Amino acid sequence: MKAVATGVLLLLVLMSVSCAKKVPTAAVDPNVTTRGSIEVTAQLDEIRGDLIDDPMYDYAHVMKYKVVQVHRGKVDKDVIYVGHYNPAEPRSRVADARVQEIGGNVKQFRVGDVHRMALEVPIDDYYMGGIINKYFGEVNDPVYWAIWTDKAAK
Amino acid sequence: MELRQTFVSLALAIDVILVFAAPGAQEEGADQLAKEVGGRGWIAFAARGENGTWDLFLMRPDGSGRRNVTNTPDYEEGGPRFSPDGKRLLYRRFAKGTVISHDLWGFQGDLMIANADGSDSVQIGGDREFPWASWSPDGKQIACLTPKGIQIVDLQTKSVVRQMPRKGIYQQLFWSPDGQWFCGVANARVKWTVARMHTQTGELNIVHEFQSCTPDWFPDSWRIIFPCRPAGQEGYGFTQLWMSDGDGRDARMIYGEDGYHIYGGALSPDGKYVLFTRCPEDGGGSEKSGAPICVMRMQDAPAIRGPSVALRKVHPDAKDATVLQLVEGWEPCWTYAEIGAQK
Repeated sequence: MKAVATGVLLLLVLMSVSCAKKVPTAAVDPNVTTRGSIEVTAQLDEIRGDLIDDPMYDYAHVMKYKVVQVHRGKVDKDVIYVGHYNPAEPRSRVADARVQEIGGNVKQFRVGDVHRMALEVPIDDYYMGGIINKYFGEVNDPVYWAIWTDKAAK
Repeated sequence: MELRQTFVSLALAIDVILVFAAPGAQEEGADQLAKEVGGRGWIAFAARGENGTWDLFLMRPDGSGRRNVTNTPDYEEGGPRFSPDGKRLLYRRFAKGTVISHDLWGFQGDLMIANADGSDSVQIGGDREFPWASWSPDGKQIACLTPKGIQIVDLQTKSVVRQMPRKGIYQQLFWSPDGQWFCGVANARVKWTVARMHTQTGELNIVHEFQSCTPDWFPDSWRIIFPCRPAGQEGYGFTQLWMSDGDGRDARMIYGEDGYHIYGGALSPDGKYVLFTRCPEDGGGSEKSGAPICVMRMQDAPAIRGPSVALRKVHPDAKDATVLQLVEGWEPCWTYAEIGAQK
């Protein structure tokens, strides 16, 4: 009986080791770890207003995030406001003539999702275009500019 | 009820008569306008050349004397602006095949300066350098709009002699003829706001909010002309040509037409005439071949052309516009200076 139990235990250990090997290690995109001067993991807390999908006009839409972890740079607050360029577009296709150095793997912006982002601040120093900021006049915090936006585990 | 129906029918009949009677009167009025403006200087504009690329052209304000002054099959050119003395042209040159975006062109391609007849063109900077360059009143400097701020650049040395915060202005920067102001499109309370900034103090004020862009100066350096697509229209709506005092007061429509988006607003040097383009698609047509360039008397403003039933309800006092329609082009500008013989 003891031998059977030992065998089962050994089998379980081997299985767990074997399974553990198959668990993919989420490699962090070097774009997000090297671009910009700030890197955070943050949860998308609020999108005010509709995301406009108009091929005629480009714009950045300011969204509210709760900071989960700061990886690089200095972020003083738990809540930050981030401008995403043409957010109706998947990040992989968003770079264009106006904004060339931008990307990521986020396909759609949804409240509750967690993103790992390479950022700069303030947005005006890095982006020259229309900004939809529904927090204007209400929040005086600087707006961050999203350079690279990858999805992250919750 | 019958009486009301009769009135409605009568009103409709009058509408139809006016609409069908208008073309003849319009042609006659346009002919008169052509005679009036024909000898008043030159218009520079971008248009498709015979080689298929965007080139720069000059023509008399009545459309005569049209000539291609760049004629470069290996490049696209656009955004010409006469220097204040009318002797030089500032413009941008793009790689062949570039789709010219009506919002991006000012920071794409190379800044070029040539004589007003297109001769002796000189490349001032590399790709995307000196963005949204605009002449100073004496033509010795240019103001450029960069993410880091508004830069005043000395043209002889190409050095930045002064820099100031841009305070949300993000495109279409233009320096006033008296040198006291900049105007541009800014993010303020809402995007697509026309704003004015004092060149010395940097103080910014809103001129006109909501779907307003591409501003330019009246010769008096006080009023600003700009396209605007006002709220309250059915569906997407149409872009109209507006004007406002620089402090945001007295905003009013200059010209509108249901079915057309009006862009490229610019004044004659004496402010008596207005240039614009009328395009069925939003944006002024820079992505394709532009749109017909038109000339109108400022004294006829506010004016409406065509049936424009919805627009006439909003502006019941607007006149029926006498408009001189010229060739297709984009971003026209006007000088009263005489430009020499054909290149």
